[in-house]
Amino acid sequence: MSPTLGAAKQAEQLRQDGNTYFKKDRLGAAIDAYTEAITLCPNVPVYWTNRALCHRKRNEWTRVEEDCRRAIQLDHHSVKAHYMLGLALLQKKEYGEGVKELEKALDLGRGANPQGYMVEEIWQELAKAKYLEWEHESTKRSWELQTLKESCEVALKEKQNRDAPETEGFVDETTMSSLDQFEVLNRVFNKAAEDDTPTEVPDYMCCKITLDIFRDPVITPSGVTYERAVILDHLQKVGKFDPITRETLFPSQLVPNLAIKEAVRAYLEVHGWAYRMD
Amino acid sequence: MTSDSASSRKALSKIACNRLQKELVEWQVNPPAGFNHKATDNLKRWVIEVNGAPGTLYAGEMYQLQVDFPEHYPMEAPQVIFVPPAPLHPHIYSNGHICLDILYDSWSPAMTVSSVCISILSMLSSSTAKQRPADNDRYVKNCKNGRSPKETRWWFHDDKV
Repeated sequence: MSPTLGAAKQAEQLRQDGNTYFKKDRLGAAIDAYTEAITLCPNVPVYWTNRALCHRKRNEWTRVEEDCRRAIQLDHHSVKAHYMLGLALLQKKEYGEGVKELEKALDLGRGANPQGYMVEEIWQELAKAKYLEWEHESTKRSWELQTLKESCEVALKEKQNRDAPETEGFVDETTMSSLDQFEVLNRVFNKAAEDDTPTEVPDYMCCKITLDIFRDPVITPSGVTYERAVILDHLQKVGKFDPITRETLFPSQLVPNLAIKEAVRAYLEVHGWAYRMD
Repeated sequence: MTSDSASSRKALSKIACNRLQKELVEWQVNPPAGFNHKATDNLKRWVIEVNGAPGTLYAGEMYQLQVDFPEHYPMEAPQVIFVPPAPLHPHIYSNGHICLDILYDSWSPAMTVSSVCISILSMLSSSTAKQRPADNDRYVKNCKNGRSPKETRWWFHDDKV
């Protein structure tokens, strides 16, 4: 049953009313307006995402989730629905699923408007979630390593004490001194902790303009890679040239650098601390 | 109102803040030879000591650069001037303004404070005469009420010095 033209018009008016209430922070009135719009025309995804936004402001995450899921059923490409669904899932501590939704929103958002505020906001939330996840996991890993290291040291000491009387008098140059053994053990454990130790991100994974790790890298005909939003900004505001080689450059010449994007992804997978945003 | 005072009231954008913090860290790890950043808690204005390179006309002399960053750095060039007394140089005016294309028309966001400093030192080092630009008095008089060098319409004499 398709709504009559009158109903569609009425629903649209209700949406605008809702938007006005929302701007005035009258969330209850806004929710009522969107709900009426939904009753009239349940197949318009924006009514659902707008209501979800109100629920989000009220921290009513179960409702956010419900509305976003309905919106996605109606429109698989809704950036806002995937984004807010992701946030709702993170609130429920469903990390994996939440991150997946945010990544989906990010991909869709970049396709639509790579310089938009939504993309930046989604990235911030995604990075925050990833960083927290890393913090959680790495604390666990470092605790495990520390415990194991202490046990190894105790065991090594015991072994050295047991062996000591036998080797007395026979100094064998090829066996390691007991001090050396501890040093090697230490080295092994330091090596194991390396990935979780925050340091500098390699230069080749950072944009020459932002000096930050790549998110959405694009390459120019000169072969230089930049962060997409920032190089577009440069072409708009500074001039139509490659910032490093100064060769003429137009936005249409930018091509995604998928290899670097994959490399960054792999790097972040192992070095979660690099999601730190400040 | 000059653009200098207008821009200095505006806070740095998030991108600018981020990037300057990264530049500062990089500077601390790997400072350009001959320069010394004077630590302050003001990210928007850096004061940098410049030491004349050995074997040049400015050997043993010390000057100060003042670098002010606009809201939309690095999409806009920083304002870089010498704090008077400025070095005697054919492209440096007595009020500290520097005639150097990369600070104005030829700015690129891929340049950093560090690379700008190196360009300025190389400009000093290649100088063969300690003298002011020919139009110094006229220019300085025109800048009387605190005009920023970024408002000047520069024509760049040559690329050599």
